[in-house]
Amino acid sequence: MDAHIRKVYAPMTETGFYILLCFREESHGYNVIRKVKELTDGEIRLGPGTMYGTLSKMEKDGLIRFVREEEKRKIYCITDLGREVLDLEMKRIERLYRNMMEAR
Amino acid sequence: MKEKKTEPRIFTIADWEKEERYLRKRHQEGWKFLKVSLPGFYHFEKCAPEDMVYQLDYNEEGLKHKDEYVQMFKDCGWEYLQDFGGYSYFRKPVSEMQGEEEIFCDDESRLDMMRRVFAGRYLPILVILMLLILPNLIAQFHSSDADAPILAALFLILLAIYAWAAVSFGYRYWKLKKRLEK
Repeated sequence: MDAHIRKVYAPMTETGFYILLCFREESHGYNVIRKVKELTDGEIRLGPGTMYGTLSKMEKDGLIRFVREEEKRKIYCITDLGREVLDLEMKRIERLYRNMMEAR
Repeated sequence: MKEKKTEPRIFTIADWEKEERYLRKRHQEGWKFLKVSLPGFYHFEKCAPEDMVYQLDYNEEGLKHKDEYVQMFKDCGWEYLQDFGGYSYFRKPVSEMQGEEEIFCDDESRLDMMRRVFAGRYLPILVILMLLILPNLIAQFHSSDADAPILAALFLILLAIYAWAAVSFGYRYWKLKKRLEK
């Protein structure tokens, strides 16, 4: 994992985290928007501008890869590098959670 | 035949939020936005007043892959209107929203859009400024031609406009960045 990836994705934004989490399965952008809304009880509603920008950025940085196109919707899937970034972030959030519980 | 009107308006490159508010206000007053054309004519058509949110995105990647770009917005309920000067125009009625909706949902992606505007619009302008205006300005100052002062004044005005645009953009970028760091 190079310095650029570390700088941009560690730590990740909340929206970025959910988006990458959803791409563990092949999916298109709008599907991810729906899934994130479901996962957060409607709290996080991704805008299409945010979604499109994130997709281009993550594809360019090699975190997700284009699989195929279906009815004008591009389907993406997480890459090995994407999994690495996601794992790192999960560990960070785990630590955050542990420390929060101890503080309670 | 529906009643139509055209208004001239100039919004600088960094004024997209002002432009969004302007279009929304017109729609609330019963003027539906039809299109914008060069150099800055806004065309409207009489309609029933409605609270309609207008949004501008700047995404060269999206313009290159128009079909899937527009589809993403359509899926989210945003109507695609047109492209103008690198910006894409979208709108969605408030009645179809849950709360206030925007095409960007966090400051990070708003900042990303500003960066795209900067790379796509501001850098070229700064290059033009350096290569065109400054040398001309200096040449006019050293010239003894009768019309040199007039030309110098013109170039100074241009320089002021460009500088103002650059400074106001820089200020807004800085403000957003500050907000993000909190």
